[in-house]
Amino acid sequence: MASNEEGALWSILGYLISGLLIWGGIGYGLDHWLNPRHHWFLLVGCLLGMGASIYLVWLRFGRE
Amino acid sequence: MFVSVAPGPGFVPPSTNDFNLPPIFGLNAYTTKPILLVFLSIIVISIFFIAAARKAAIVPGKLQFIGESIYAFVRKDLAEEIIGHGFLQFVPFLFTLFTFVLVNNVFGIIPFLQFPAMSHVSFPYVLAGFSYFIFHSIGIKKQGIGKYLKGIAFLPGVPKFAYILLTPIEIATYFFIRPVTLSLRLFANMFAGHLLLLVFIGGGNYMLHDSHLFMKILSPFSFGFGIAMTFFEFMVQCLQAYIITLLSALFIAGALVDEH
Repeated sequence: MASNEEGALWSILGYLISGLLIWGGIGYGLDHWLNPRHHWFLLVGCLLGMGASIYLVWLRFGRE
Repeated sequence: MFVSVAPGPGFVPPSTNDFNLPPIFGLNAYTTKPILLVFLSIIVISIFFIAAARKAAIVPGKLQFIGESIYAFVRKDLAEEIIGHGFLQFVPFLFTLFTFVLVNNVFGIIPFLQFPAMSHVSFPYVLAGFSYFIFHSIGIKKQGIGKYLKGIAFLPGVPKFAYILLTPIEIATYFFIRPVTLSLRLFANMFAGHLLLLVFIGGGNYMLHDSHLFMKILSPFSFGFGIAMTFFEFMVQCLQAYIITLLSALFIAGALVDEH
């Protein structure tokens, strides 16, 4: 099962990256569009994306 | 304040310019070293495996043993273990991918060849493109396009509101992040490894030809580190060939299984 575990490792990395990129990117876009004084949407988007991707990793690999 | 750097022949650190090699035959722009190395790798792989398989004996000779070990590694440890049922049709692709990447990577440390073609990003892009095309088309063929896309976008057993958060991540992972990570990982490792060797060996060479005796005495350390890094590179090169094959097998396996 070693190969499968190693595969899971790389898939998890992919999820974490894409969660951060997608929601962080949406936040960045909102910042750009709505133009608030600070980059609040970027911050919220990154945190949301990170949380969502960790949740997704748990859904895919954590629950048996 | 600012110390101005003395003009003249100083040490020129290796840069991306060292990867843009001029055409070997002046006439056309396509006969560069990486291209020729890729062709050479195909010839080497073909000759090796034809020679290994030609006199297939029950008690294998040395050559046959090596050839069969590599084949058995890809078939058993990668294809069968990860893909499982119906793995046999993917063995040719995975085996080709593995040997092609392996030989091209190892070219990076073979004297006189000494250039990994995968340090040019377009080669890994093409390989990742093959992998991308294969695992998506397998998934669509096996499950039908609607069911396949639904399986990607909507994970079962999740409260409905969570889909707002999760669906964009899933779609991005399957369609954008996967091919990018697949190709960039291979590219970045080969690029950085080659640059590292250039730094230590080029630096040692520069120190050896420096006018200060002190520098000359210290130059063997740089060469020594270059040699150590060469062994390290060999490990990285094999590992990267393994990882790109492993991930391709994994993506194919994911497309075949319709539980998600």
